[in-house]
Amino acid sequence: MAPLLDVQQVEISYHGKAVVRDVSFQLEPGEILGIVGESGSGKSTLIKAAMGLLDSGGAVTGGHIYYKGNHVVDAGPEELRRMRGPAMGMIFQHTEASLCPVRSIGDQLYESVSQHEQVSREEVRRRALELFGHMRLKDGDRILNSYPFELSGGMNQRVGIMMAMILKPDLLFADEPTSALDVTVQAQVIREMMKMRDLYGTGIVIVTHNIGVVEYMADKVAVMYQGRLVEYGETASVIRHPEQEYTKKLIGAVLRVNRG
Amino acid sequence: MQNILEIKEIKKTFYKNRIPFPAVDGISFAMERGECLGLVGESGCGKSTTARIITHLTPPDEGSVLLDGEETRYLKGRAERELYRKVQMVFQSPQDSFDPRRTLGDGIMEGMRNRGMSRTQAKERLYELLWQVELEQEFACRCPHEVSGGQCQRAAIARALAPDPELLICDEATSALDVTVQAQIVGLLRKLQRERGLSLLLISHDLALVQTLCDRVLVMYQGKIVEQGTPDQVIRHPKEDYTRMLVDSVF
Repeated sequence: MAPLLDVQQVEISYHGKAVVRDVSFQLEPGEILGIVGESGSGKSTLIKAAMGLLDSGGAVTGGHIYYKGNHVVDAGPEELRRMRGPAMGMIFQHTEASLCPVRSIGDQLYESVSQHEQVSREEVRRRALELFGHMRLKDGDRILNSYPFELSGGMNQRVGIMMAMILKPDLLFADEPTSALDVTVQAQVIREMMKMRDLYGTGIVIVTHNIGVVEYMADKVAVMYQGRLVEYGETASVIRHPEQEYTKKLIGAVLRVNRG
Repeated sequence: MQNILEIKEIKKTFYKNRIPFPAVDGISFAMERGECLGLVGESGCGKSTTARIITHLTPPDEGSVLLDGEETRYLKGRAERELYRKVQMVFQSPQDSFDPRRTLGDGIMEGMRNRGMSRTQAKERLYELLWQVELEQEFACRCPHEVSGGQCQRAAIARALAPDPELLICDEATSALDVTVQAQIVGLLRKLQRERGLSLLLISHDLALVQTLCDRVLVMYQGKIVEQGTPDQVIRHPKEDYTRMLVDSVF
């Protein structure tokens, strides 16, 4: 069987200049991959390419990306639209920027769910409230009736996470999903993502700069540096025995809580 | 030893649609000269409001703030400017704290010029400061968007050091930076604290950072200080439920 996600020697360019070069990895169902690296190393570009969401001027200029054996890069807009949501979901770093500012959260949520399945508003509301509850968000009804600008950064972020999870995608991309959240909420969101993997076998690609999060949840880790994948392997072995200079520097720079 | 800062029972309530929200609810603490004090807690717990009260950016409703043993609450004019010299702040997003259309050098020198320094003197001081924060001289001529986050945060630290402050408040100063860059900034703050005897108030939600840098830590929750002690004490033997949850949430 084809892997859930297969990235083969991918090169991504912006305005003719390659920003991601020769990146390959595979993801099986239920597997969690953590991508780490500094800002500008191409982490976000890579997952945007897999979702077909590259900004204008950007294109995959080499290699292949397959989702369950199907070409993602060559997929037409209609095909991509069907895939985004139930097949591939994405949690953005700044959810507020990905929501429509003049429509309520509830309306936008219903629209996105009803594009993919026959469902009543009440059912969508019920599922949303359940997910909010898992993420320590009280007052779910008020949030559904709110506009994005009325909510705090942390609340909007959890709305984004809920919207990505509600369709139970087979593959979930998460771009710094918890960087805007308090540590206590971050812990809850991370546990929620793990639960999703355990219950539905969701494959997850998480981009983060938090090595602790990667260590906790990822089965494999990919280290990116200047557009290349410099190290890739089992999380424990990469973190304990980094081989590349950059990885050593990165792991060495991480501050850890010493619990004695 | 005299305390650089003493805060007694400060309160600040904000109103939204006439509903009161007590952001800071009667907190007191003291800071010794040369100490590094950490202030941790979740968003909305009143950390930043506390910082803004200390720096005179937000007036408190009640309570007093003593800097060097002197009440600061009603300072005006020259005395208030002296307070602005003694207490400096470094913010979370360095790029937003500089004027996007002016160079970093201009931003760093602005305060010096306002305090009556000549252009030549200010320039000299500027290069000295850049050297202290380990930035090349050419960065003086760059705009905020032309440098990386870490470089910009160094420039922000240089700007804060310009008036030779006694207390430096860092409000989540490293949380927007890459870990490797964060490690460099942490090293820089340590060096400054050691060499200049700077008192440091570090506002953060990163317990590991607080444990690395701070002598003592205060845990804030819903506008109150719920726990305090050395970072090791607080992290290894948290007494309050909230602190325990905070410690358990760190991966």
